[in-house]
Amino acid sequence: MFKRIQTLPKHKQHFYSLAFSVFCMTAAAGFSFLYLRLFDKNPVNVTLIFIFFLILVACGTVKYLYDILCSLFSVLWLCYACDLSLNGYSLTFLGMSAVTLLMSALTSHIAAQSTLITKHEKHLLNADMEKIRANLLRAISHDLRTPLASIMGNSLILLDNYQTLDEKEIRKIISYVHEDSNWLINMAENLLAVTRIKNDDLAIVSRDEIVEEVVGEALQKVEKRHPGCIIRARIPEDFIILPMDAVLIEQVIINLLENALSHSGSGDAVDLIVEDGTKEVSFTVRDYGQGIPEEMLDKLFDGTPCTAAHNADSQKGMGIGLVICKTITAAHRGSIIGRNCDHGAEFVFTLPKKQGG
Amino acid sequence: MSTKISILVIEDEKSMCSYITAYLSKDKYIVTSALTGSEGLSLTASLCPDVILLDLGLPDMDGCEVLRQLRRWTRTPVIVVSARSEEDEKVKALDLGADDYITKPFGTNELMARIRTSLRHSHSQAPDSKYRALDLEINFEKRKITLAGEQIHLTQVEYQLLSLLAVNSGRVLTYNSIMNTIWGPYMDGSNQILRVNMANIRRKIEKNPAQPQYVFTEIGIGYRMRENEYDF
Repeated sequence: MFKRIQTLPKHKQHFYSLAFSVFCMTAAAGFSFLYLRLFDKNPVNVTLIFIFFLILVACGTVKYLYDILCSLFSVLWLCYACDLSLNGYSLTFLGMSAVTLLMSALTSHIAAQSTLITKHEKHLLNADMEKIRANLLRAISHDLRTPLASIMGNSLILLDNYQTLDEKEIRKIISYVHEDSNWLINMAENLLAVTRIKNDDLAIVSRDEIVEEVVGEALQKVEKRHPGCIIRARIPEDFIILPMDAVLIEQVIINLLENALSHSGSGDAVDLIVEDGTKEVSFTVRDYGQGIPEEMLDKLFDGTPCTAAHNADSQKGMGIGLVICKTITAAHRGSIIGRNCDHGAEFVFTLPKKQGG
Repeated sequence: MSTKISILVIEDEKSMCSYITAYLSKDKYIVTSALTGSEGLSLTASLCPDVILLDLGLPDMDGCEVLRQLRRWTRTPVIVVSARSEEDEKVKALDLGADDYITKPFGTNELMARIRTSLRHSHSQAPDSKYRALDLEINFEKRKITLAGEQIHLTQVEYQLLSLLAVNSGRVLTYNSIMNTIWGPYMDGSNQILRVNMANIRRKIEKNPAQPQYVFTEIGIGYRMRENEYDF
């Protein structure tokens, strides 16, 4: 409650505090009146009622002034209601003031600390993103050069030696060019996706989307690019509405599916499973291939270009795809992991149902 | 149709132009290209093409402006060609009266399908009385929908939605235009009601809602229904 008030503008803070104090004091007076009417005239219990409401006032207002005024009011009411002589007046007043002031100090201290913590967390997140961004740039320059060099070289061969090449060779060269340009398109799409995320605070525009529509479109695009591939999608019976930037999440699904199709090393079907949890929705992409090499597991998402050691044939490596998946899920306050399961590799990302913070 | 169909390509990228021209002239089309918006406008007036392919990023004027000027006097189908990042731009163009859009980079099959659909919708005089694709059949006169022979029961709104998409099959309809046709112009901006209805329809006609066969979502833009097989 305290935090909420502090986010309001100044004049509203005062208005709110005043209203809250008046409300609490009225309630206290009312309760004590009822108590006195219905039960005995024990001033201790009435004092307890007032102290309870004073604590509430302390928690719910921003200035000590209100607390002191309320304490004063409480003492006066107490004197009036219980016919106390004014002898103990000053002591009661001091006691009540002390309780409320202490309470106020405590709440403002807690609030200050919590803002400090959130600031710190944000700072850490920013540092994390900074690292990811640097790796991303490195990965891009690596992944951009390889296909470009290949397109350049192949087209040059065609231009120079067109007469001497036979049809079969020409076909082969052109198919290389085609393959590489496909790769570049994929890359460009990923880069475009990242530009949708505002740089400084990772802000995205979330709208409520129906999960199956996003999944459906991603599947359609992947199936178009990999004719003949088999993807088994399993989603919950009821439709799920989830806040997200649909274009970005679609990109994550596409990247994971493309990875599964082209890096699993087997032509088996790929599973895409959506599960509805209480706080988050999880998306699992599972392939039944050779799995992820052990040494890659802990740096899947940080954009380190995969060195040719393991997969000499997949020269383009895992590329920037996974880094972008990580960036996108982080921007959605979700998570992503990659691991090996019984028969292959599995990537799971989750998105929170409520976009908080 | 015995006479050749003429297509006007308004696109500033020369290599793109030559690729489209080369591909389309191979088929039964006559292709003319314009490199700027103003050239495109004047060529439209002099040639009266059957279909116009319009790139949104032109050097001399905004693609949407070209579209607006075209729509003042001609109903020639316009297919907007655009780069991927301009989602809002696409919706704007569609709501301005473009018939369809295609995103760069596109396959030639996709392009041909779009052109065929646009031609079909612009030539057909009477609306189709039936729709059929795979196992799904809709009889608009009897308001009856069957899936593999079995009748499907839809609510009033669901039927209106599905039949609207079926009549315009093969073509994308924006959220806005669907909302306007079915719920009228006075609905609030949210299209949640439309999406929820679509989700319900999907559960009635699709085997797996995540891998739809009949109604496809185009994220951020709208819905497209599978081509009507009676039209071939």
